[in-house]
Amino acid sequence: MEILQYDFMRRAFIVGILLAAIIPCIGIIVVLKRLSMIGDALSHSSLAGVAAGLIMGINPILGAVVACIIAALGIEAIRKKIPKFSEMSIAIIMSAGIGLAGVLSGFVKNAANFNSFLFGSIVAINDFEMILVACISCAVMLAFVLLYKELFYIAFDERAARLAGVPVKIVNFIFTILTAVTVSVAARTVGALIVSSLMVVPVACAMQFGKSYKQTVIYSICFAIFFMTTGLFVAYYARLKPGGTIVLIGVICLVLILIGKKIASKVSLAAGKI
Amino acid sequence: MKRVGCILLIGCLVLSMFVGCDSGKSSQTQNGKLSVYASFYPMFDFAKKIGGDKVQITSLVPAGTEPHDWEPAASDIAGLEKADVFIYNGAGLEHWTEDVLASLQNKKLITVEASKGISLMEGQEDEEEHATEEEQSKYDPHVWLSPINAKKEMENIKNAFVQADPDNKSIYEANFVKYAAELEKLDKEFKDTLSTVSNKDVIVAHQAFGYLCSAYGLNQVPIEGLSPDSEPDPAKMAEIIDFAKQHKVKTIFFEELVSPKVAQTIASAVGAKTEVLNPIEGLSDKEQAAGDDYFSVMRKNLKNLKTALE
Repeated sequence: MEILQYDFMRRAFIVGILLAAIIPCIGIIVVLKRLSMIGDALSHSSLAGVAAGLIMGINPILGAVVACIIAALGIEAIRKKIPKFSEMSIAIIMSAGIGLAGVLSGFVKNAANFNSFLFGSIVAINDFEMILVACISCAVMLAFVLLYKELFYIAFDERAARLAGVPVKIVNFIFTILTAVTVSVAARTVGALIVSSLMVVPVACAMQFGKSYKQTVIYSICFAIFFMTTGLFVAYYARLKPGGTIVLIGVICLVLILIGKKIASKVSLAAGKI
Repeated sequence: MKRVGCILLIGCLVLSMFVGCDSGKSSQTQNGKLSVYASFYPMFDFAKKIGGDKVQITSLVPAGTEPHDWEPAASDIAGLEKADVFIYNGAGLEHWTEDVLASLQNKKLITVEASKGISLMEGQEDEEEHATEEEQSKYDPHVWLSPINAKKEMENIKNAFVQADPDNKSIYEANFVKYAAELEKLDKEFKDTLSTVSNKDVIVAHQAFGYLCSAYGLNQVPIEGLSPDSEPDPAKMAEIIDFAKQHKVKTIFFEELVSPKVAQTIASAVGAKTEVLNPIEGLSDKEQAAGDDYFSVMRKNLKNLKTALE
């Protein structure tokens, strides 16, 4: 295939599929916890970390990871204080992150550097980033499989999980750290847009079909991989920007599924009447 | 009692704001020097060379910042209200000038569009995103990268200085003559060096080198359009990789102010090196402190071009 003869496209597919496999795993828990916007909040907070890293002369990726972890723990803390309105914690952390990034960016001398962290691109991935993404994918996969039951409990009902003897605090902590690391690294590699949409859109699609938690998880990974690969193909052959294309394909799919479901239910209703 | 305290507090805040503004402004127009604002680095450098110690120059775009997406802050506008001369490159690079100049109350301000009188080149064909933008951005604004155009820009700047400050006319004229000769010398160096190179294809980060390339018979292959963007489309990258392989390009050029990730990706795909080709859109504080200016950076560019194309 013509598209795969280029190294940068092969990398885009490898990294894209790896991220498409792990981000929905995080996404489904996050959606069930009513924290769908966490991807946006964390990727914006990671910008503050990048700016701080550039100013203080430490590695900006490290800065982003640290800022993301702090932000994610902040979201958890606020969420516990106001459990009924957990999405408020995201709004608070997101505005804090954007505000801090805005102020700090004024002190960054080299704007180009800053921009490159703001907009990672899936078609320009270097060795280091590819290895980093591979490591994180393994860690997330492992954690998700090992903590499968615990995460499932917590996602649906934290209190019941605690009563059933799940170490809620530790599991939540591990999950928060994994989310933060994944978002900060993925946002730097493929752009914040792809990360925050892959967290939610495939899960939303999968929920239309999935009859159980397990099914929904598997479907959402399939959807994410489908969006990623078609997005890259379409972007390549139609000469479009890859990030936006991947996201739009996901959203179009969701809309089509919703319309299709409605028509199907009408048809079955009509069939029932006859 | 509480309310009085509140009012006092607000009063103090408002007062401190005014004080803050004033202290920012008062540093200009002192000791009889011409107060000059230049939009970004090349304009700043040219103005400094022509004006010498007779002018006090401020560069609006701060050091080390990419000028394409910069916009003035309120304090910059306040500074312009007190300035004597404002120099900008024009040709659509500083998209904010029109709005800013229209909003100024400063009647005595002399504005110089330094690229005036230079025949502008249009951007290259494959720029769909630029075709939809405003009319003014269809021209390539990077005129200063050809020394002959730079001479014209210096002349425009000199004329404005003479108009604003006729008393020092002879100084400005003498400086212009001196640097015009320097620019001609630079032009000759470029001509002599680049006429001997075997390869003529230059892959650059963004389409900034049109004037330079056309003046010396090179072929510019830009990864991005007239203003550096963040994400190229993959088909374009594939084309450039094929082109580089076919034409045996040894070096992919990138810029200091734009992220080098895309250039590095292409370079590793074709087994080429990456090297800096500076469009002199802004020099960092460090470079300026090290004594770099238009001439030294242009000579560095020439050296890098020569090694890449030999």
